[in-house]
Amino acid sequence: MHPPDARFGTEVAGRAQAHLEELGATNKGISLAVLTSEDGFEIAAYRGAETSGRIAAMSSSLQALSEAISREAGLASSQGLIIESENGKIIVLGVASTAPRVSLAVVAGLNETLGTLLWAARNCCKSLEQALRK
Amino acid sequence: MSSQELKIVFTGPMGAGKTTAIRAISDAPPVSTEVGNHDQKTFAKESTTVALDYGEVSLENGTSLRLYGTPGQGRFSFMWEIIGRGALGVVLLLDASSATALKDLDTFVTTFRRTTPDQAFVVGVGRLPPEHGSRLDDFSRALAATGVVAPVFAVDVREREDVLLLIETLLCILETQMPEAEYASA
Repeated sequence: MHPPDARFGTEVAGRAQAHLEELGATNKGISLAVLTSEDGFEIAAYRGAETSGRIAAMSSSLQALSEAISREAGLASSQGLIIESENGKIIVLGVASTAPRVSLAVVAGLNETLGTLLWAARNCCKSLEQALRK
Repeated sequence: MSSQELKIVFTGPMGAGKTTAIRAISDAPPVSTEVGNHDQKTFAKESTTVALDYGEVSLENGTSLRLYGTPGQGRFSFMWEIIGRGALGVVLLLDASSATALKDLDTFVTTFRRTTPDQAFVVGVGRLPPEHGSRLDDFSRALAATGVVAPVFAVDVREREDVLLLIETLLCILETQMPEAEYASA
């Protein structure tokens, strides 16, 4: 796996990292947040660990699948998806109008409500969109 | 052979032609998860598959094939296992012009053999030089070294007939490997 900032430049990675740190600091239930290019490369991560590169690749696959199933169902473009597990939840959201196209994956435990997490992740996406705009 | 539905997987490294092959034979436009490729050093092409391709083709004998294509890059290897589950056969596509082609063969054969040991295999090698006899033998030898017995073809995956040849060969292997009753209910 390439280091997070090798492919997209230290400036982009640094800006993204700052927004992910802010997301994590204001939402204590978040255990991992990864910003991923559309083709599965980790750009920045909050609490990045050995697994964050793998989570990044998986989240880009999931985002692409959510867009494919939305197209197949005749719906408008997918904005993201929510995975609810016994011990927590994962949200994957597409970030609009960036180059490269990116998505944000956020992992949180049960102590973070879905509504709060979704609100925070969407706000983070808006900030990222501003910071990484084409 | 009675009417039946079979799952076939197209796999292989990035740029080997999996998406193109499925597009060449699918009866309807395939489901695609292609996105922009930001890894031009590995393979200089505009787009890449990050989850799967999905197409369907009905053969004249009534057999219906569900065609799944995997992503090619190692970082998406989790999809190889997910997509490979339940597949009766694997079409492994390789790019002869790649310096890692023989290593790729070993990687994909080993992975699919580990997760589903009984799958039938057929190998299609593309972008071969004009006089490719000995080069094709290299792939046959590399395949034999993995312990897998499978036919190896020179193919152009843009050609529907070439892709159908791979599929028909795979179906012949399946027919000889499996008891008739089991094959019919697959």
